[in-house]
Amino acid sequence: MTRSLPITAPAADDPPAAPPVESRARRRSRRVTAHPVAGMLFVLPFFLVVVAFLVVPLGYAFWLSLSSKSLALGTRFSGIDNYVRAFTDPVLLDGLLRVVLFGLVQIPIMLGLALAGALVLDAVTTKFALAFRLIAFMPYAVPAVVGALMWGFLYSRTFGPFADLPTLVGGEPIDFFSVSLLLVSLGNIVTWAWTGYNMIILYSALQGVPRELHEAAVIDGATPVQVALRVKVPAIKQAISLAAIFTVIGTMQFFTEPQIMARFAPQISAGYTPNLYAYNQAFAYSDFHYSAAVSFALGFLVFVVAYAFVFVNNRRRGKRA
Amino acid sequence: MLGTTWLAKLRGGLAACGLLAVAACGGAGGEDGPVTVSVWAWYPEFKGVVEAFNASHPDIKVEWTNAGTGADHYAKLKTAITAGKGAPDVAMVEFQQIPTFVILDALADMGEHGANEDEDLYAEWAWKQATDGEKVYAIPVDGGPMALMYRKDLFDQHGIPVPATWAEYAEAAVKIKAVDPDAHIASFGSDGGWLNGLMWQSGCRPYGYSHTTAKDQVKINLTAPECERVVDLLGDLVDKGLMAKDPFFTADATAALDSGKYWTWAAAGWTPGYLAGSLKNTTGKWAVAPMPQWTAGADEQGDWGGSTFTVTKQAKNPKAATIVARELFGKSEAAWDIGLNKAFLYPLVKDIAADPAFTGKAYEFFNGQKVNEIFVPVSQKLGDFQFTPFQDFVYSELDDRSAEAMTGGRPWGTVLEETQKNVVAYAEQQGFKVSK
Repeated sequence: MTRSLPITAPAADDPPAAPPVESRARRRSRRVTAHPVAGMLFVLPFFLVVVAFLVVPLGYAFWLSLSSKSLALGTRFSGIDNYVRAFTDPVLLDGLLRVVLFGLVQIPIMLGLALAGALVLDAVTTKFALAFRLIAFMPYAVPAVVGALMWGFLYSRTFGPFADLPTLVGGEPIDFFSVSLLLVSLGNIVTWAWTGYNMIILYSALQGVPRELHEAAVIDGATPVQVALRVKVPAIKQAISLAAIFTVIGTMQFFTEPQIMARFAPQISAGYTPNLYAYNQAFAYSDFHYSAAVSFALGFLVFVVAYAFVFVNNRRRGKRA
Repeated sequence: MLGTTWLAKLRGGLAACGLLAVAACGGAGGEDGPVTVSVWAWYPEFKGVVEAFNASHPDIKVEWTNAGTGADHYAKLKTAITAGKGAPDVAMVEFQQIPTFVILDALADMGEHGANEDEDLYAEWAWKQATDGEKVYAIPVDGGPMALMYRKDLFDQHGIPVPATWAEYAEAAVKIKAVDPDAHIASFGSDGGWLNGLMWQSGCRPYGYSHTTAKDQVKINLTAPECERVVDLLGDLVDKGLMAKDPFFTADATAALDSGKYWTWAAAGWTPGYLAGSLKNTTGKWAVAPMPQWTAGADEQGDWGGSTFTVTKQAKNPKAATIVARELFGKSEAAWDIGLNKAFLYPLVKDIAADPAFTGKAYEFFNGQKVNEIFVPVSQKLGDFQFTPFQDFVYSELDDRSAEAMTGGRPWGTVLEETQKNVVAYAEQQGFKVSK
């Protein structure tokens, strides 16, 4: 759920498009007094946690991002300079372009697989389905670092089972860390880790689709494929777009797999993904200020992308209704 | 992203606070019991060294933490320093990182507590890198004088002469390929420190910096001919398929070393210890020769790696911390017994390096060869070499640009040019005046 933070956080900062100040203040004060103290006490623990672990850190990071620290000159207030630098930083922009391209290919493949898996699970009701559900979900339970290391070895020329496969038919061994395959190799790890998770989300949504709908379709002479594509998929559209949003956000924040995989693949550079770049700025180059700015810039972009996605989706739904 | 960054920072902070609390608790009782000094280090077999220190110093108690190796350790240390609290009293820092921590205002001057007395104890080059004039920022521990490890059995068997110059090295690479198409003379490891050591050995002095003299001036000259010729020669070998592309210290690279896929490794004084544990098949088949020279008959040497102890400015008792930094290894026989025989450190204490017990030690891994007879003169020969106060950035650029060249995305001839350009831009952005 931490993945959804960047959406909600900047949204909370955004002042709602101003109703007249006076009336808003009056309305709010009346509402506050109307709340019983007990209600506030119930909210308090959650409120404190949110303030301590979300609002304060975000505020602090934002404050950091407004200063610049140069090694030779020390720290000074610099306003939006860091943001100007971030949005014109070729390394950051390259990394951004990379994750966008990555997402354009990987997200549809993964969600397609997850949807197909969920539809099959929904249609099949044997004991096998239960076992399959567990197995498909398992990669999600493997910590990302462990998963990435594991794949690092599976891709290895010496230890992995896959690299030498083409030599069985007289081909060249595969180099999974070569430039042309690196993103595919990374995409495979992400797909492996997250397909099952998304499949379970979609499967749960399918459980909520009234059975009468399928029955009606079957009585009308629909084939199982038609039932799946024309009845079930439209019925869980919202779950699909939810899964898509989480995935888009996760992709924009791509970090763990490239960070671990850099040990195996030297061409994963310090700015391979925007998140990796922010990490290196802070923890390798000691520039916490610029790192905060990069983080916020990325958070802002994620927010824009996610919001645009929701907006377009809602519009489409609105039209259909 | 925010989540990750903040979580990582928070975790670092929490871990560090825990340590601080321990140190503070122990340190408070200074008059009744021993002073507690916290130490972060990742030396192998370090536990015994700490125990030896504690046993011989009843008034000081060292609390040791392994905060991770290399980059992980530095990330935590830099975070604690930026946060202003949570850093250990004494921290292990590699030579190339010293100016970085100096400019972050992280290191206490041990000269104020008498550390200048130790000057004659250590190899001159190491002492120079650890100090800035009278200011003692670090106490040297181990070094990485470079020499050429090679598969003596294979070179002998195929009558290939052991290269004494880099030109001969390139010729040997061709011969090796002719003997075994699957073999390479070595791997180009994408390791900034390694490449830096090779450039050092070529007489290249790409950086100049003194915090005391001019904290905002830095010299960067990576495009001098002595630097370029290293990348040109190795790049050419990579392009011709004579040199492999595995990053060092990966399972693949180790397996290749242990299966006759690589015949040489231009390695450092600490490498034998590192390898002896992991190369089981080829034990006894390796030997060490001096580094190939750029000019026949010359004696130019370089260093790859090595580390020191520093005292951070957050140390609650800098005087006690200085004693810890100076004497954890220093002249301690018990510590060096572990350092030499279990952790395989290359000692920068001159007397210990010159001791017949060290120079005369025969290594089973090298079929009984007394390899320190080669490493010790190298360390003695090493001269002045400086680093930038942002060496992480420089190494990362070197790694990334040579990785581009390795995959065909950039001509090798532009690797140092582009690195120079990016490093200068970074330095200027960080407020330095850059000279060449």
